[in-house]
Formats: sequence, C-alpha cells, structure tokens
Amino acid sequence: MADLLTAIESSTLATWTRESPSIWAFATILTLHTVGLAIVVGANAVVDFRLLGFAPGIPIASLRRLFPLMWWAFALNFLTGVLLFMADATTKAGQGVFVAKLALIGLALLVARLVWKGLGEHERGAGGPVATTLRRLALVSLALWTGAIVAGRLLAYW
Amino acid sequence: MAGLDTVVQWLQATPASMWINRSTWIWPLCETVHFIGLSLLIGITGVFDLRLMGFFRRVSVAAARELMPLALVGFAMNAVTGLVFLIGLPEQYVHNRVWWYKVGFLLLAGLNALLYETTLSAKVLAGEPGADTPGAVKVIGLVSLVSWFAVLYCGRMLPFIGDAF
Repeated sequence: MADLLTAIESSTLATWTRESPSIWAFATILTLHTVGLAIVVGANAVVDFRLLGFAPGIPIASLRRLFPLMWWAFALNFLTGVLLFMADATTKAGQGVFVAKLALIGLALLVARLVWKGLGEHERGAGGPVATTLRRLALVSLALWTGAIVAGRLLAYW
Repeated sequence: MAGLDTVVQWLQATPASMWINRSTWIWPLCETVHFIGLSLLIGITGVFDLRLMGFFRRVSVAAARELMPLALVGFAMNAVTGLVFLIGLPEQYVHNRVWWYKVGFLLLAGLNALLYETTLSAKVLAGEPGADTPGAVKVIGLVSLVSWFAVLYCGRMLPFIGDAF
C-alpha cells in the first residue's frame, strides 16, 4: 500500500500537479475543485431546502432538472479531487479527516440517489405533500454536504 | 499608497486583529464557514441566474426568486468571515492585485443585482412559469453568473497570484 501511494505521488501527473510553476497546475485544479463544490452543494441545497418547505413556489416536480447540473459538477470535482489526491497521496491516505471526507461524500451521493428516486415517486404519485422520508433525506443531505466541506477545509490544517 | 498603509497599520494594531492572529481556531473556523457560505451564495444565485437566462422555465422567475434569502444568508456568512480575514491580515490582501479584482467583481455583481431589482425585476416577476425572459434580463443573469464565479476564482487564486501570501 505504501509503495503504491509513493508510486502514485511520484508519477509524472502527480509531480506536474504539485510542482509545476504554471498557474494551470495546482492553483487552477484547486480552484476548479472549489467551483465544482459551489455548484454541487449549492444545487443540492436548493433541492434540500425546497423539500424542507422553503421557496414553496418552486414545483417539486421541477427539482429533478437540477440533478444533471450536480452530476456534471460532481464529475469535475471527482476528476480534480483525484489529481489533488495523487499530488499528496502518501500524506492524504493517512489523514483521518481525508477518509472522513470521502465517507461523507459517499453517503451524500447515496442520499442524493435516494432523493432522486423519491422525487420520481413524488412525480408519479398525485403530488401533494412531500413524504416525511424525503424531507428527512433532505435534512441528512444538508448535514452530509456541510460535513464534507468541513472535513475538506480541515484537511489544510490537520 | 500611503493612506492605505496607514489603514493597514491601524488595523494590525487593533485588539481584534491581534486576537484573530493569536487564535489557533478562528482562521480554520472562518475558512470553513466561508466555504459553506460561498456554496449557498454562488450555487443558489447561480440557479436564479440560469432562470433569468431562460433555463429551468418550469419554475417561474418569482418562484426562483424565493430562494434568494438563502443566498443572502450565504453572503452574510461570507461578509462576516471575509472581514475577519481582512482584519487579521490586512497587508496580505490590500497588496494583492487579485484581491482588488475580487472586490471589483463583488461590486459588479452587487451593482448588477441592484440594477435588476430596481428596473427589470417587477416586469419579469409577473411572468408565468414557462415564460421566456427578455434579452436584457438574460444579460443581467449572465453578468451575475460570470461575476460571482469570478469572485470565487479570484478568492481561491489569492494564494497563488501576486506573491502576497
């Protein structure tokens, strides 16, 4: 495992990400990771807060339209996240807060998937009030994404 | 800029600035809140901007605008934590041109929103779900979207451009 992490960290791509003086290397990758984060978490917040009763003028049936935006932004963050991990693999892999961040994101994605399904069921049903399960999922989703941000930010300090 | 340096020196000598710098937890806490705030502010404003640009037409502009108080909560979080950063390390920011670009884009985003709210908003709010938006409103939405992401870009690039950090 340690050998693998060292190999990853010393690969050409990881070395370029970490050491290139170009503004397009580490700085841009990190900035794109923040851009994606804003879109993923912001769009999720729209869905979650609407399910919790905020902005009632927005039809529940329209919320699924936001998911493609979230998936594209998540793809950006997966890609930039892999690069950032590679650049610092030996340290990151041993950081508890990094493992916690990945776990929180994994759970948040699972919850997003359940919300997506719940929204589909809501659309197929007669509409009406949002199911309690769906509202609970929205609350959990907000907590998980917030936790992922906290863990991600603390990575810089741990 | 002598006047600016006077302000910087005055800020650095304030008890608040010294407190922020002595603390081990204020900076990480404020950075974390700043990231949560930026997600609310830019993510939610972005959805509204896209509606102004004519996307997500199933949602009326009036309904999409109901989200904006949440974006304002994000803005308030970032205004407060941003001030903490500025009071803590003023020289690091005011001597960095990227920080001034960030301030410039913040002003642009604010003036653009003010222009929209005072001139075009009332007309668009009357629109039904499904209604397209006039060209001028699309431009407002685009300017907002671009300027908020530019604020984010300049903020995140601060440590990497201008050698101030």
